[in-house]
Amino acid sequence: MQLLKYPSLVQNEILNNMEFSNLLMLSFVSKNMKKLIKSSSQMQRFKNVNTIRYDHRDEGTFVYIPFYNLPENMLRIAKHDNTKHDYFKLNVSGKWFDFRIIYDFGHYYPVAYYHRDETECLLNSIHGYFLDFFGNSVKYYWHARDYKQPIPKLQNLSVCLYHHPGMPGTNSYVLNMRRFENFFSVSPIFKFIEIYKSNITEPLRPESKFYQAEYIESVQYDTTLPAILHHFQGRQAYLKIVGCENRDVIEFVGKWKSGEAFDKFEHIKIETGIGGFTQNEILNTIGAKHLDRVKKPPTHVLPKVYDWHNRNPNTDPITSHTYIVRESDNRVASILIEGYTFNFGVWDKTEEEFLRMIG
Amino acid sequence: MSSTEQGTSSAAPAEPTTAPESAAAPEVPESFYYVHGKDKVVHKVSAGALQHSALIHGMISNLGYTEEQAKANPFPFENIDGDILQMVVDWCNQHKGKPTPPEDTNLPKQKEKLFDLVLAVNYLEIKELLTYCCKQVAMMVKGKSPEEIREIWMIPTDAEDEAAEKEAKKRAGKEAAGETAAAAGDAK
Repeated sequence: MQLLKYPSLVQNEILNNMEFSNLLMLSFVSKNMKKLIKSSSQMQRFKNVNTIRYDHRDEGTFVYIPFYNLPENMLRIAKHDNTKHDYFKLNVSGKWFDFRIIYDFGHYYPVAYYHRDETECLLNSIHGYFLDFFGNSVKYYWHARDYKQPIPKLQNLSVCLYHHPGMPGTNSYVLNMRRFENFFSVSPIFKFIEIYKSNITEPLRPESKFYQAEYIESVQYDTTLPAILHHFQGRQAYLKIVGCENRDVIEFVGKWKSGEAFDKFEHIKIETGIGGFTQNEILNTIGAKHLDRVKKPPTHVLPKVYDWHNRNPNTDPITSHTYIVRESDNRVASILIEGYTFNFGVWDKTEEEFLRMIG
Repeated sequence: MSSTEQGTSSAAPAEPTTAPESAAAPEVPESFYYVHGKDKVVHKVSAGALQHSALIHGMISNLGYTEEQAKANPFPFENIDGDILQMVVDWCNQHKGKPTPPEDTNLPKQKEKLFDLVLAVNYLEIKELLTYCCKQVAMMVKGKSPEEIREIWMIPTDAEDEAAEKEAKKRAGKEAAGETAAAAGDAK
C-alpha cells in the first residue's frame, strides 16, 4: 500500500483520521511526509490547534493539545531508566534521542527519553520541532505542579504553576523557602501562579520573580506571606487572605491611586475571613467617588490572563457605583465591597471617558 | 448481497441475478442498473443502492433508461477489479436507504485489498465508504514507529526521494534537449 499513490483528497482524508501523536510520528518518516502533513488542507486542521501544553508531573512531561477540555496526548518526555525496551532513535532538530511507543489511558503515544543532563537539550529540540511543525501562532504553556525542577527557557513559552500543599505531616506540606525562592530565580517570569500554601514560613524577597507573575491566585493566612498586596507587579490577582484587614486594602488602593505601584494592574478580588471589610471606612479613606444612584453603572469584566482549570475565561464582573481615579493619568477603577469581599477593576478609560459610557 | 454471473464483453451481458430488495417494498417499482468491473461480471444494482455513489448517481439521473436499455448498457468500470467492485456493490446494497453507522468493521483487513478499495470508492465518489476506508487505513499505523509506518505505507526515505528527484530532473532535461534538437531539425 503506497500512501503517496493516493490522490491528495484521499491522503488528506487519511491524515484527518489520524491522532496528532500519530501525525507527529509520521512527520519523522521523511521530509516529504512532513511537508505533506503541513500542506494546505492539513494546515486547516492545525489552525484549530491554538494551544499546546507541557504538563510536568512526577512521571514525566506530558505534551498535549487541550481540545474542548479533552487533552489529546501527543508525546511524553521522560527520564531514561535504562530498562530494555524496543527503543528507536529519532533525529529531532538535528539531535538523536531514544523513543518508544507506549499504550496508556487507551491511547498509543510516543515517549521521548533523556539521559542525565540531557533534559534541556531534549526539550529544546522537541520545542524547536513543534515550532516548525505547528507554527509560531500556537501558544505554548508549561504547567508545573511543584518547584522541584527549574522551568526551561523556551521560545514563545508561557509558564504556569499550580501548587497545592501535600497532606499535613508530609514533606510537601511545608514550603522549602530557599528552594522555592531559587525555583523562581532560575525560571522565566510566570504567566500564572495558583498557590494554596498555608505553610509559607517566611516572606519572599520583594524582588522575587514570584511577584512579577501576570496572575496570582493564592490562599494564605497573612498579608505578608507572601506580601502580594505590597510587591505585586502583574495584572490580575485573586487572593483569599484570612487575616486581611481594612488597612491592607486602603494601603493597596492608595499606592495604585498615587501611581506609586501597580501600574500594570487590571483586576483584584480579595476575600477575607475575619470580620469582613468595613465599606464606609475604606471608601472614605481612599477618596472614592460615586455615580448617580439612578444611573446603571457599567460592568467591569476582563479576559483572565490564564484559565488553568477551563472554568471561567473571565474575571469576576464588577458592577458598582463607586470608583476612584488615578492621579497620574486620570484612569478609573471600579470598586465593589461586599462584606468579606473586596473587588477592584481598572478600566482602560479616563474619568471623562468612563462617565461618557454611562451617559 | 448481489449475486453475479460471468459476463461477456459483448454489449448484451449475461442475465445477472437480482440484488436483494430492502425490507419495505417500495410503492413505485424500483429501477435497476448494471455495472461491471475489469472482470466483466455484471452486477444488477437498484437505483436506491447506487445513490451512495455520486458518480453513478450523476450518470443515471438524466438517462431515463428502460429496464431493457439499462441491461443492454452496463456501466463499465474497467479500472476496478471485479472483487473490489463486488465489495462496493455489497456495501451499497447493505446500506441502501439506511443511515450509515459511525463505524464499519466489515472492511478488508489485507493492505492491498483495502488500498484498491479506497481507490475504487474515491473514483465512484462514495463519501461515507471512503471515510470508513480512510479511517481503516489511518488505523493501520496507530501506535507504530516512523520506520514501521514507512514499511506499512511504503514511504520512500529522504535519500530515495532525492534520487527520484534527480532522476526526474535528468529525464526532464533530456526531454527538453530532445525537443530542442527536433525543433532545430524541423527548422533546417
